[in-house]
Amino acid sequence: MEHVGVFLCSGCGIGDALDLEAVASAAEDSGGALCHTHPCLCAEEGIALVRESLSSGEADGLVIAACSQRVKCKAFSFDSATPVQRVGLREQVTWSHPPNDEDTQMLAEDLVRMGVARVLKSKPPVRQEEEIADTVLVVGGGLTGLEAAAAAAGLGKPVVLLEKEAELGGHLAGIGELAPAGPPYDQLHENPVSNLIEQVRSNSRIRVLTSAVLRGISGQPGQFKVEVAAGGGDETFMAGAIVQATGARPYDAHRLAHLGYGEQADVITSAELDAMLEAGSLTRPSNGETPQRVAFVQCAGSRDAEHLLYCSGECCATTLRQAARLRRDYPDVEPCVVYRDIRMPGQQERFYLAVQEEGGTLLMRGEVDGVGGNGNGRLAVHLRESLLGDDARLEADLVVLAVGMVPNSADGEAIRALHDAQQRVEHGESETQREEARKVAERLAAHEGTEILHLGYRQGPDLPVLQYGFPDSHYICFPYETRRTGIYSAGALRAPMDPAQAVEDAWGAALKAVQCIEAARRGEAVHPRSGDLGAPDFFLQRCTQCKRCTEECPFGTLNEDEKGTPQLNVLRCRRCGICMGACPERIISFPDYSVDAVASMIKAIEVPEEEDEKPRIVALMCENDALPALDAAARLGRTWSPWIRIVPVRCLGSVNIVWIADSLSRGVDGVILVGCKYGDDAQCHYIRGSELASKRLENVQETLDRLALEPERIKLVELAHNEFDRVPTILDEFAAEIEEMDPNPYKGF
Amino acid sequence: MATVPLIAPSEDFRRELRRRGGERASRCYQCATCSAVCELAPEGRPFPRRQVLLAQWGQGDQLATDPAVWLCHQCNDCTVRCPRDVRPGDLMQVVRAMVIERLAAPAFLGRLVANVRSTWPVVLGAPLLLWVLLLGLTGHLGVPPGFHAYDQLVPHWLIYSVFFPVAAFVLWAAWVSGRRFWTLLGSVGPPRKGSFLASLVPVFGEISTHGRFSNCEAGRPRRWGHLALLWGFVGAAVTSGLLVVALYGFGAQLPLPLDHPFKILGNISAVLLVVGGVILLINRLGDPQKTGASTAFDRFFLTVVLLVIATGVLAEVGRFFFPAAVACSIYIVHLSVVLTLFVTFPYSKFAHMLYRTLAMVHERMTG
Repeated sequence: MEHVGVFLCSGCGIGDALDLEAVASAAEDSGGALCHTHPCLCAEEGIALVRESLSSGEADGLVIAACSQRVKCKAFSFDSATPVQRVGLREQVTWSHPPNDEDTQMLAEDLVRMGVARVLKSKPPVRQEEEIADTVLVVGGGLTGLEAAAAAAGLGKPVVLLEKEAELGGHLAGIGELAPAGPPYDQLHENPVSNLIEQVRSNSRIRVLTSAVLRGISGQPGQFKVEVAAGGGDETFMAGAIVQATGARPYDAHRLAHLGYGEQADVITSAELDAMLEAGSLTRPSNGETPQRVAFVQCAGSRDAEHLLYCSGECCATTLRQAARLRRDYPDVEPCVVYRDIRMPGQQERFYLAVQEEGGTLLMRGEVDGVGGNGNGRLAVHLRESLLGDDARLEADLVVLAVGMVPNSADGEAIRALHDAQQRVEHGESETQREEARKVAERLAAHEGTEILHLGYRQGPDLPVLQYGFPDSHYICFPYETRRTGIYSAGALRAPMDPAQAVEDAWGAALKAVQCIEAARRGEAVHPRSGDLGAPDFFLQRCTQCKRCTEECPFGTLNEDEKGTPQLNVLRCRRCGICMGACPERIISFPDYSVDAVASMIKAIEVPEEEDEKPRIVALMCENDALPALDAAARLGRTWSPWIRIVPVRCLGSVNIVWIADSLSRGVDGVILVGCKYGDDAQCHYIRGSELASKRLENVQETLDRLALEPERIKLVELAHNEFDRVPTILDEFAAEIEEMDPNPYKGF
Repeated sequence: MATVPLIAPSEDFRRELRRRGGERASRCYQCATCSAVCELAPEGRPFPRRQVLLAQWGQGDQLATDPAVWLCHQCNDCTVRCPRDVRPGDLMQVVRAMVIERLAAPAFLGRLVANVRSTWPVVLGAPLLLWVLLLGLTGHLGVPPGFHAYDQLVPHWLIYSVFFPVAAFVLWAAWVSGRRFWTLLGSVGPPRKGSFLASLVPVFGEISTHGRFSNCEAGRPRRWGHLALLWGFVGAAVTSGLLVVALYGFGAQLPLPLDHPFKILGNISAVLLVVGGVILLINRLGDPQKTGASTAFDRFFLTVVLLVIATGVLAEVGRFFFPAAVACSIYIVHLSVVLTLFVTFPYSKFAHMLYRTLAMVHERMTG
């Protein structure tokens, strides 16, 4: 931008602690076109002042030097074409540093200069009109899919519902009654699925395609091209967003031979008992007699190192509803539940109590070691260390294994790795490479042909999965969102859950899908930078086809052409800037966030001469976690070293190594990067930004060697959003370490 | 395989438990809060969680051999704190009643008292009928001329000829039940050490002060009522014994004068009984969470005790102040409820005296 309007706020004590006139002249000297100071910038009058400068054409970019960018967001958002840089004078300067102090003043002036430098290098976003499809594609016609279809249709969107089977309803179809889903949560209630099927079938907005085969999905949110074979013919249509609700299947009980499945005729699964109950014939498969005691074995193959490690959270409710049903329909049958813990989420606890109170169902805590014959025609359930202290055995006529659920997912990344390996086996450059590839292909062989969505994405044909194969979102705060923008996972596919939770999930995912379509229509990022119009720009003439951007984008935004040149699918982009950080050629920029813009900020820092003994440190801080933590520390009156100049970054993954080289060659004494935790409890909004940054830092070593500088001048710290208490200490300790060292010899060059 | 014990959940036991007010056992989800808060449970052998579990699983045999069932004093600290409202204190009470019935000799009397909710007219009426019949047959039914003492109404030989055989029968029944229980206690758990008597003495000491009750929180007021009642009964028994000695050893004349030491002892006992009875009655009428729910079995025992006390006191006072016919009627009722109390001793809640004492001795011998 050419005309940067700088607005200083003197409210909240800023004016008392700083010489704002000096700050204003620093702003003007550094290229600000105009500079106003207002005692309460966020009030109507202050905002009017800013608006006036924009409408009169005096300013086309803004620096708001007031409070942190994390507060007053609404007040300081103007039109989408105007780049705005917030400078947190209040949190980063006056609340956290001594008032009317030389160093505090220098800090404030530097920060404003940096703001001006960045806006000078910013451009208004370019909005491209795109044709956006309104249709929501729902994959899977079980409870979740049906509910999601009904929800999206209810929100006014056309829906296509795909089901690979001939009938809708999934696993719950045909079951008469379910565990309670509403108050008073103490009795069985009618399975909603059959009504839901009718509702969906009769909804004019919903097209149901059964016996459907998904052939492929390409494109991006708002423009997914879906190819389907159904009803004897192929068809292609456009969809705006996708809800994957392919559900889960019961764990294969044949693997549970120790529990008698497949060996004892009278050992069945919950699903098989449901079938018996619905058919009205509760019999022992071995002899056709009505069983006297039906023993339910909970956690059959769940929470078990050799089978499923997790709790499916639903089998207890299934067992208790079956026990309640047995008690009602077969009063002479004695249901007996052997459990490790009864886990009834939420209000389901009341149903558990109701079953207990009815009194006819025996609930027995114990570890089941095995199920075998008892020699008298009955079965024996062997309990290890029963609650009464000893091994014991329980006789039963029918044993029902409450098996957990396994998601009907496909591991997109594994499939891709398999296909890549297969390619290398064929076309590998050396025998070693081909041999390596063969091993990988062998290890991943089980993923062959498991595709569900058939996505035309470089990073794989299906959603990436998390633990245990569930394509869940990475963080509790963003349920349903997957690493593929515009594709939302819901129901038992996303995480093990019961029908009531699946219904809630369906709604959540449907709402997300609708939101995504609307955001795509406006050309905005969906999440987490909702509303961001600034699409990345690739200066492809200089691309060397190194593929780092296509590989490192956490969201599979980029495809590749045959030569390996990235192909942008802008509506998949979440604007994190990880590609920008990855690019060694520095050809990727966002209108208001670019390698050049941040480098200019760093260059705007006035580095004092060596003899002034005022070191300078650049802190590249993640604006999602580290920055709010810093704001919180300031709010609590914590202070930190005045040598530090904070550069907020979208993600540590967006940090281009050149910024570090720039800092050091400018005479900055140290650079600290503060970002999210990574590893198992990753908190990064962009999956693994700080992890990528830490890997890239390894390459900085070269730069340091070249400049003959100590490696300790660069540091990366992981910080959680809530660790506000640690931030000042981290900064102060780093400042102390830098002070220990000799000043950067490049000062003054 | 055969060595692994079979858990045989007895549906009969569970049905019986539900019928007798133990239906809340099925609510238990084994959090063990009850055992954690119980102040009476011995180190390393916590209760009542295990007993709730046994009840829930229909393990009547194991409950019958379990001393913890009797070591529980129903303070209800567990009941107050149970997050699932299982009321383990009440449950233990029901289990005790079931054990009493199970060990009763002869069994039909156990059953009769266990089902007192419906059989109470027999249990209370039969002794009354017996007395009326006996008095009628011996020509004593009617107000004696010049009435001033109850031996004019009921001659001592008649009393002896009823109570001595009854006492002998009760002692036999208690002996049989006590032996069964003692054998059952010894059939599981660690072996006993030391002599029975050596353990009995300190147990009596403990009972005489009701020391264990002092650990209770929710049920603490019951301690004093129960203690007064205990000593009142002891005093009454001692007075009766002394009276026989005075009558036949020293030729004392009835009624004894009011300043006679035996009379004074008897009256002190009566006061203790009245005070204890009133405290327990008031307690029963209080918060059922703290005091425990009252089953018919509990109510029957308390009612008989209160009737014995009330008719005893009224008979004593009535001799001076009531018309002779009224006083004599009260006396006959008194004799009949005392007979009920005696006869039902091994079968009613009264039997806890026997079983709890044995359990406490067993606890000492195995502790």
